[in-house]
Amino acid sequence: MAEPIQLLLVLVLGGVLGYGFASARARRAVRARQVSAAAPAPDTPAHLHLITDLATKVAPVWSAQIDSSRAQMETAVSGLAEQFGGIVSNLDEVLASSAVVLDDGDGGAFERSRKRLGDVVGTLDDTLAVKRRASQELHTLLGLNEELKRMAAEVTGIAGQTHLLALNASIEAARVGAAGAAFGVVASEVRQLADRSLGISERMETKVTGIAEAIESVLTAAQESAEREDHAVAQANDEVQGVLEDLLSVVSTVRDSSAQLENAAVGIRAEINEAIVNLQFQDRVGQVLQHLRDNIDRLPELIARTREAEPGGASLDAEALLKALAEDYTMHEERQAHHSGAVARVRESEITFF
Amino acid sequence: MPKSVLIVDDSASVRQVVTIALRGAGYDVIAAVDGQDALKKLTGQRIHLIISDVNMPNMDGITFVQEVKKLPAYKFTPIIMLTTESQEDKKRQAQAAGAKAWVTKPFQPPQMLAAVAKLVQP
Repeated sequence: MAEPIQLLLVLVLGGVLGYGFASARARRAVRARQVSAAAPAPDTPAHLHLITDLATKVAPVWSAQIDSSRAQMETAVSGLAEQFGGIVSNLDEVLASSAVVLDDGDGGAFERSRKRLGDVVGTLDDTLAVKRRASQELHTLLGLNEELKRMAAEVTGIAGQTHLLALNASIEAARVGAAGAAFGVVASEVRQLADRSLGISERMETKVTGIAEAIESVLTAAQESAEREDHAVAQANDEVQGVLEDLLSVVSTVRDSSAQLENAAVGIRAEINEAIVNLQFQDRVGQVLQHLRDNIDRLPELIARTREAEPGGASLDAEALLKALAEDYTMHEERQAHHSGAVARVRESEITFF
Repeated sequence: MPKSVLIVDDSASVRQVVTIALRGAGYDVIAAVDGQDALKKLTGQRIHLIISDVNMPNMDGITFVQEVKKLPAYKFTPIIMLTTESQEDKKRQAQAAGAKAWVTKPFQPPQMLAAVAKLVQP
C-alpha cells in the first residue's frame, strides 16, 4: 500500500509544481511586482544595471511561482491527508464491527446459540424424564390394583363362606323348631349380608379389572408416546448438533477471515504510519521554499541598498544574502545542503522530555 | 470520555496527520492554525494536552506556551513542541516556557503516541 501512496504523493507534487508555473495567480503577482519595481538609475554601472534588471524582473517571478507552488502543494497535500484520514477511519470502523460480531463479550454468537439450543434439548429431555416417572407411577398403580383385585377375591370368598355358614345356621335353627326361630332370623339376616357382600365384592372385582385395563391402556399409550418422543428428541439432538456444526463452520470461516483482516490491518497500520511520515514532506518542503522566497525577495532590496550606499560601486554583497538565508533555516537538512551543496537526508524524529 | 488534544500548526497537512495518528488511538483532536487561534480554542472547552509547532505566523510556539501558562485552567496542561526546528537555543526556550517535550518532524506515529501517552492517558 505504501508504494501506491508514495506514487500518489509524487504525482500530486509533480502536478502541483507543474501546474504552478502556469498559474494565473502567479502571473498576476508577477505583473504587480514588475510594475512596482524601480528602474535602474542612469548613472548605474552597466553590470549593476543588468543585475538590477534581473532582480526587479526575474526575482518577483521566482517568488510568485514559489508562493503559488507552496499554496497549491499545501492545499493538495492537506486534501490528500484528509482523504487518507477518512480511509483510516473507515478501516477502523470495519475492524471494530468485525471484532464485535465475533466476540461481543458474551462468548460470541456461536456460544450463545449453542447454549440456547442446548437449553431447548435439555427441556425436551426433562419432559421425557417426567413422562417416564409418570409411567413408573402407573406401573405401581397397576400393582396396587392387582392387590386390590386379590383383596376383592378374598372378600368374595369370605362372603361365600359366610353365606354357607348362615345357610347351615338357618337349617339348624329350623331343626330346633320354635326355640331356634330367633336364631333362624339372625342366620337369615347374616345370609342376606353375605349375599350383599358377595355382590359388592363381585362388582369391586369387575371395577378393579376395568381400572387395570384402563391403566394398562394408558401405560401402553404412554410407552408408545415415550418411544416416539425418545426418537424425536434424539432426532432433534442430532439436528441441533448438525446445525451447530454448520454454524461452527460458518463462524470458523468468518473468524479466519477476520484474523486475515486483522493481519492485513497490522500491515496497513504500519504502512499508514509510514505514509503519515511521508505526508509531512509538505511541511518541510514548504518551509524550505518559504526561506528561498524570502531570500529572493531580499535581492532587489540588496541591490537598492548597494546603489544607495555606493552609486558607482561595482560589487553586490552575496554573503549578506547567504547569511540571511542561513539565519532563516530551521532544519538540519537546510544547513547541510547550504554548506555541502548536496542533497541532504532527512533525519529521524527525536523526542526530548523536559 | 476520550482525552482532548489540541494540535497547533500552520501546516494543514501536519494538522491532518497528527489528527489521524491520535484519533486512531482514541483521542479527541481539535486543531488550530496558530497561537492566537489556539488561545481562542482553549476557552470554553477542556483540553488535556497541547501539541504545538514552534515557527508559526501571528504568534510563534514559544510565545504561545508562555501565554498558555498564564491561564489558570491550563497552567499544568502538558505541552509537546512538534517542530522542524533543530536549534538548541529554541529547545531551551521552549523548556523555560514550560513545554514538557520536544519532538522533531517528521514524527513517527508510534513515537508520538508514546510521548502523548506518557503525559496523558487516552
